[in-house]
Amino acid sequence: MNAPSDRDLILRARRGETDAYGELVTRYQTNIFNVCYRILHDRPEAEDMAQEAFMRAYDRLNSFDLERDFAPWMRRVAANVCLNHISSQKPTSELEEERDADQSQRPDEQVEVKERGEQIRAALASLPPHYRVVVELRHYQEMSYEEIAAELNIPLSDVKSHLFRARKLLAEKLK
Amino acid sequence: MNHLTDEALNEYLDNELPNRAEAELHLSQCADCAARLTALQTLFDEIESLPELALSKHLAAPFTRRDAGFALPTWLKLTATLQAALALVILVIAAPFVTNMLPAIQAPSMSDMFLQLQSQWMAWLDRLSSFHFPSLPSIAMPDISSIMLMLILAGVSFLWLIGNGLLLRNQR
Repeated sequence: MNAPSDRDLILRARRGETDAYGELVTRYQTNIFNVCYRILHDRPEAEDMAQEAFMRAYDRLNSFDLERDFAPWMRRVAANVCLNHISSQKPTSELEEERDADQSQRPDEQVEVKERGEQIRAALASLPPHYRVVVELRHYQEMSYEEIAAELNIPLSDVKSHLFRARKLLAEKLK
Repeated sequence: MNHLTDEALNEYLDNELPNRAEAELHLSQCADCAARLTALQTLFDEIESLPELALSKHLAAPFTRRDAGFALPTWLKLTATLQAALALVILVIAAPFVTNMLPAIQAPSMSDMFLQLQSQWMAWLDRLSSFHFPSLPSIAMPDISSIMLMLILAGVSFLWLIGNGLLLRNQR
């Protein structure tokens, strides 16, 4: 028997069949967790925010346009949840200072990071949160500059500058 | 010849550069800009090739559990059925005693009521200890002492409490 489509599961979930939504969650949970992890770089926080994103999406399921794909919409919800989470926390400068201090305390660990994937993750983690979000939306969610600007409610020029600076920093760290 | 700026190269790879054809013409003629573009493309590829991490917990649990509702295990279903059956038996046994007791409870004061209840309880226990089923001579009923009867009642109550506790815990 073929697996039910996302659309079928959403329709069933809208009728109150929560197990149908549970199946959708199972289908996309790893992907959504990774969206959160790339933005937050903290596993427990990323898992909590991924759960929160699914809860929020469930509450908004009636407003979801069935003509669109569920996965990109869900990823966008997750990115927004993470962004709100970051905004509700400490200012960016403090986060950066903490991260820099942490790096200076454990130089051996940094040297030991050999895997390229780990290096990329470490480089992404070192970016300020608002840079990480635009990298996530552009590279992993393939959104246009205009879509990112609308999503984050920031000017188009800020999207461009955040993205270019983020890539410059990444290139320097990954040399 | 003006080289392409870093911003222009970024916009080119993001498909956001307005004068794309012009940039492509320049890239075909400028090895320096072409090399910078290749380096930037490599960075893009590296970012996008990041493997996904595995989750350490199942995020669908709240939704499946909410829906699962009363999908009780078999042993729990049996416990609940047994509990209901025992309750019915006790109700049938107790019914005549309760009907006898009810008219007697008319005392308005608490102390009188307590004394009356106590005497009724003792009388009830006496009756229970000497209880036989005269109308069912074919069924051999064992003599049950009042202590044994109390133990049975306590056991049934305990089972009742355990069963309810398990049901409530499963509902949570």
